Amino acid sequence: MEQEFRIEERVDEGVPVITVVGEIDVATAPQLREALHRVIAEGQSTVVLDMLGVTFLDSTALGVLVGGLKRCRELGGELHIVVADARIRKIFEITGLNKVFPLANALAEVGPQ
Amino acid sequence: MIEDSDLVATDTLGDGDCVVLTFPARGDLVVLARLVASAISSRVGFDIEELEDLRLAVGELCLLALAGSDARHGDLRLEFTVSPESLDISCTLAGAAPATISRSADGDEADELSEQILAALVDEHGREQEDGSVRAWLRKRRKGPLA
Repeated sequence: MEQEFRIEERVDEGVPVITVVGEIDVATAPQLREALHRVIAEGQSTVVLDMLGVTFLDSTALGVLVGGLKRCRELGGELHIVVADARIRKIFEITGLNKVFPLANALAEVGPQ
Repeated sequence: MIEDSDLVATDTLGDGDCVVLTFPARGDLVVLARLVASAISSRVGFDIEELEDLRLAVGELCLLALAGSDARHGDLRLEFTVSPESLDISCTLAGAAPATISRSADGDEADELSEQILAALVDEHGREQEDGSVRAWLRKRRKGPLA
């Protein structure tokens, strides 16, 4: 059974952490875009996106991530993505985005726990 | 008359079999295309990695079919055709691009990413516009003979 899509937000040691669970596709990516834009608009230039619970990712989702990364970097920050699933990492690799995003295997690698 | 033997599941799809899926062109329904792609891929004999590749590729096919359209309503029609050499999938959007499916500001970038994903995951793919409809297609070659 597919895991229900959900987004949770928290702040850990001053850094916003957005946790996404489920499939990010054309239907759900707008919710992620909204969450990213809102957090960045609140003045946060560095954001951690916890995608450890993501089970599917399409090009629409990648477009949202690229947009979020641009906004963070324009403000002098970074969008850290935490992703461990080999299938999800493969999507970053085949699009070359693994060289663009700082990808981590665990939250501990980017600071906040 | 339908015989009981006609209804027995064989767990495979064979040469010439064609499965057609039509659904309203809504973003929340693209998951249906992915589910059917998974089911068909396993019955055609693709391994789990190829199955996952096709699941992703079919979703991108739907998005590409939607990307070139400018109408407001319509259906996405997918055809999965099995041959001894390959699984061919086409996705046609008949006269429509519903307002409910939008990639917003990320649209152009996402279309480019769709092309990259398809180029990496399938053997051939393309997109054509004809008579007011957009058709995106892909071909995934099979490694062995029919199961």
